[in-house]
Amino acid sequence: MFRAAIRSLFARKVRLLLTALSIVLGVGFVAGTYVLTDTMTKAFDDIIVTSSTGLDVLVRAENAFDTEFQGGTEERAAMAQTVLETVADVDGVAEAYGDVIGYGQMVDPATGDPIGTMGPPTFGGSFSEIGSLTIRTGQPPVGPDQVAIDAGTAERYSIDVGDRIQVLFEGPPGEFEVVGLAAFGESDSLLGATIALFDLPTAQTVLGRTGQLDSVSVVAEEGVSPTELQRRIAEVLPDGVEAITAAAYVSEQQDQVQEGLGFFRTALLVFAFVALFVGSFIIFNTFAIIVAQRTRELGLLRALGASRRQVMVSVVVEAIVVGLVASAIGVLVGIGIAIGLQALLRGIGLELPGSATVIQVRTVVVSIVVGTLITVIASVVPARRAARVAPIQALTESQDHLGRSLRFRVISGLVVLALGVGPVLYGLFGQPEDALQLVGIGVLLTFIGVAMLTPLIARPVAGTLGAPIRRAGVPGKLGRENAMRNPRRTAATASALMIGLGLVVFVAVFGESAKASTDAVLERTLKADFILTSPSFTGFSTSAAGGLRGVPGVLAVSEIRQAAFRVEGETAFATSVDPAFEATADPGVVSGSFDSLQRPGKIAVHDDLASDRGWAVGDTIDVAFAATGEQRRQIVAIYSEKGILDDYGISLADYSENFSNQLDVIVLVKASEGADVGEVRRGLEGALETFPNIQLQDQAEFRAKYAQFLNQVLNLLTALLLMAVIIAVFGIVNTLSLSIYERTRELGLLRAVGMTRRQTRSMVRWEAVIIAVMGALFGVVIGIAFGWALQQALEPDGFTELGIPAGQLVFYVVLAGLAGVLAAILPARRAARLNVLEAISYE
Amino acid sequence: MSVVNEVVPFAAAARAVGLTKIYGEGDASVRALDDVSVEFERARFTAIMGPSGSGKSTLLHCMAGLDAPTGGNIFIGEVDLTTLSEKNLTLLRREKVGFVFQAFNLVPTLSAAENITLPLDIAGDDPDQAWFDLVVDTIGLRDRLSHRPSELSGGQQQRVASARALVSRPEIVFADEPTGNLDSRSGHELLRFLRSAVKDHDQTIVMVTHDAVAASFADRIVFLGDGRIVDEMFEPTTERVLDRLKSLEA
Repeated sequence: MFRAAIRSLFARKVRLLLTALSIVLGVGFVAGTYVLTDTMTKAFDDIIVTSSTGLDVLVRAENAFDTEFQGGTEERAAMAQTVLETVADVDGVAEAYGDVIGYGQMVDPATGDPIGTMGPPTFGGSFSEIGSLTIRTGQPPVGPDQVAIDAGTAERYSIDVGDRIQVLFEGPPGEFEVVGLAAFGESDSLLGATIALFDLPTAQTVLGRTGQLDSVSVVAEEGVSPTELQRRIAEVLPDGVEAITAAAYVSEQQDQVQEGLGFFRTALLVFAFVALFVGSFIIFNTFAIIVAQRTRELGLLRALGASRRQVMVSVVVEAIVVGLVASAIGVLVGIGIAIGLQALLRGIGLELPGSATVIQVRTVVVSIVVGTLITVIASVVPARRAARVAPIQALTESQDHLGRSLRFRVISGLVVLALGVGPVLYGLFGQPEDALQLVGIGVLLTFIGVAMLTPLIARPVAGTLGAPIRRAGVPGKLGRENAMRNPRRTAATASALMIGLGLVVFVAVFGESAKASTDAVLERTLKADFILTSPSFTGFSTSAAGGLRGVPGVLAVSEIRQAAFRVEGETAFATSVDPAFEATADPGVVSGSFDSLQRPGKIAVHDDLASDRGWAVGDTIDVAFAATGEQRRQIVAIYSEKGILDDYGISLADYSENFSNQLDVIVLVKASEGADVGEVRRGLEGALETFPNIQLQDQAEFRAKYAQFLNQVLNLLTALLLMAVIIAVFGIVNTLSLSIYERTRELGLLRAVGMTRRQTRSMVRWEAVIIAVMGALFGVVIGIAFGWALQQALEPDGFTELGIPAGQLVFYVVLAGLAGVLAAILPARRAARLNVLEAISYE
Repeated sequence: MSVVNEVVPFAAAARAVGLTKIYGEGDASVRALDDVSVEFERARFTAIMGPSGSGKSTLLHCMAGLDAPTGGNIFIGEVDLTTLSEKNLTLLRREKVGFVFQAFNLVPTLSAAENITLPLDIAGDDPDQAWFDLVVDTIGLRDRLSHRPSELSGGQQQRVASARALVSRPEIVFADEPTGNLDSRSGHELLRFLRSAVKDHDQTIVMVTHDAVAASFADRIVFLGDGRIVDEMFEPTTERVLDRLKSLEA
């Protein structure tokens, strides 16, 4: 008995450890998210503070609202250079210097490839001695042939002072001699951003700011407060130009960073919560099994006079302890993850300069509270079940009967399912205000509802899945029987995987639909023979298109630029439409015409939006540009295709006038009738030689690139869901371990009558595979359902096709089966190593 | 696998030579079996009796290859168990040995028929249908073959277990207090069945029991005390067994 007690304790430790693991991982994800985003926020804050060190007042053009162009520069108009003199003359100004900044992308001299094609921005700007950038090696740039580059980029690409380097701009590219390497305070890099620095006149020329400045930085004389100076400067500034104190500028920039990272943080937290949600199923299952196994012990406690309440509390207390310990470990794991990710970011050149890992009290508190709370909530139902144990059950064999509460389960399961599906459908199709939250809660409840109902079908499903295995001899047959014997347990285990994989499948189905839909739209709308883009669609020089028009055999070249503006107070995308547009693409004009769009003050609107708002051709609407403020536009065309255009189209001339950043995102080229396409392609390639960041593709290549671009996003989402799937696999390990512990005597018997260790392992493995594949299949079904629902909801937005990546889904199911094999390794080993004699005499 | 027989037994299904089993170490060690040598003849029903702690269960477990002896040799047929690897020991149990335990003899997820053929199924062998039918008819549970253990009475379960032990025609069947959890009627039924397997079908059964009535069904009784064989009795009756037990305990 003593030996048995020791073993029981050991088994308990193992099962607590495994249970805790699901919480550890989930909480680790939460804590890691906080630590990483806090650390990043701190890094950005430090940069912002450093960049305004010594600065007292900043002068710049006013903007109508804050919006960032995709290159990373703000949408804000430039101001006349004369502002600098005006400001310098103000009483109390010690120093004032003008700056320009814009798109400037360096080209790796060794490979000819553009540097920084995705992620952090690539800047070009003016260098001034007083700024936050200092020359670490070499000289400051002087004259039209010199550039200083950030030391981080120089180091990564082995560029030295004296080398020549090509830089790409909005206008024509240029080649410069590297004369200096610039550092930013202590740090070599700006969070992975690259910067090419010129003297002010050169910068003004290459960045298209001749006679203009983006900002004037002002240092106050001793004794003059920034606020006072800001007031004095503001008085003399021309219309459309503003002065703000350095402190206000810093907090404004920090707010923007907070907002951007806040979105990132929320997104990560959603995935962390999914992991915790899956973990809660593991907890629930573990406590349910523990309670079932302890029925006799609990019955004895009740017989000895323990109240129901005491029994229930004992289980909940255990949950609290497990939750607290696991959450505490989870916080440590999370910190580890965050540090690891930082190292990973450093590896790909996104160094977070100088700042140590930030661990806030909030991180620790939130992580532990969330982890413990979820553990306790998951244990409540099992605890209630424990409290229901009657004293008489101390004397009878425990049996976990499903039939007992079948009706209740069906009814409550259906109710929860309805409570989930309802909000999902309303959120998707009813277009309420807070659709996202509604759908989120609905999906959660749907999963719970389905999980409540799965025990009803777990038995036949396991039986069917296991049917072919039966031929694999006794281990297969027993594995199948074991998977079928306790449908509640099998279902709860499979459900955890169902949720994880269901979301993965949902992403796959939605992604496939997105790919199919965009491909269909592109096929319908693209008339161009060639499409020019930059990697990850960051944009490229507008002078590229000009050189193409002279290439023999080219009929039309259309430049597409795109940026955010506001229409009737709401943010939307404006796409430029030049006169050649309709020769290269078919927007599907419903009414009006694109020809009239070229006249000033006109706009084209997508059909859905127009019918939503009740707009017709001839109506006038309010628009606002960040750089140039509020204006009015008359609708001259309504179109139905969203392939190239988004919600609104404006003329290229209109676009150039009202946006400060001018980069082409796409250039469409149509060859003349009868021209040799290969010949034209060679001609175009020749004209694009000086633009290494431009990819020239034909229609098929472009559509493939677009699909690949979507794939990258999908892969990222799938990777983030991986944690939930891993936790679900741990759930299988957990359930198997507990089941094996419970079946000790049976295993002893099987071994006694001649089952080999190998056969014993095989039996456990088959059970795991059946559970895993069952979970995967449920996940596939529910994932397809969600994907289909979302596709239906988004059909008006162009998601016309439902794509089901069958091969990928089969792959997932097979992978789940393999995960089952992995999950079975340890439990199977334990089952096979049982001492036969002890197992048989085990009570 | 085969071992040279020093003493050629005319029909020993199993035998132990100088068998010793010590639990624990040093002062705390317990000598459960002390130099026990015994033979179990083929086609005989042998009972092992003795007071609690006399080592009768240990002897059975060691003989059956479930427990490893500290010293001595054990032969099932001509095979010395103490030389076998874990895997070969398992295979030997599967092919040459049958078991009936006091309780928990059946796999709950399998039907009675599946439980009976379990050792054969594990080995991947087909049952000898005639023998299977004979065994099933002898235990009298043909109409219950498709039932799960939870749907059978205790006596029925033990009979299924006995059928399982016999179905592969093992060299020897070990039964550890097979009637311990049964009422006397079910117990007698089971014992009659075991005896008929020996008498009518030449099976070999060794049974540990503390019940004189149960032991009286055997051909021979081996008495153990303090880890040694202290006495032996052939053709026992309940009265003689009780008398002998009294004298042993005195």
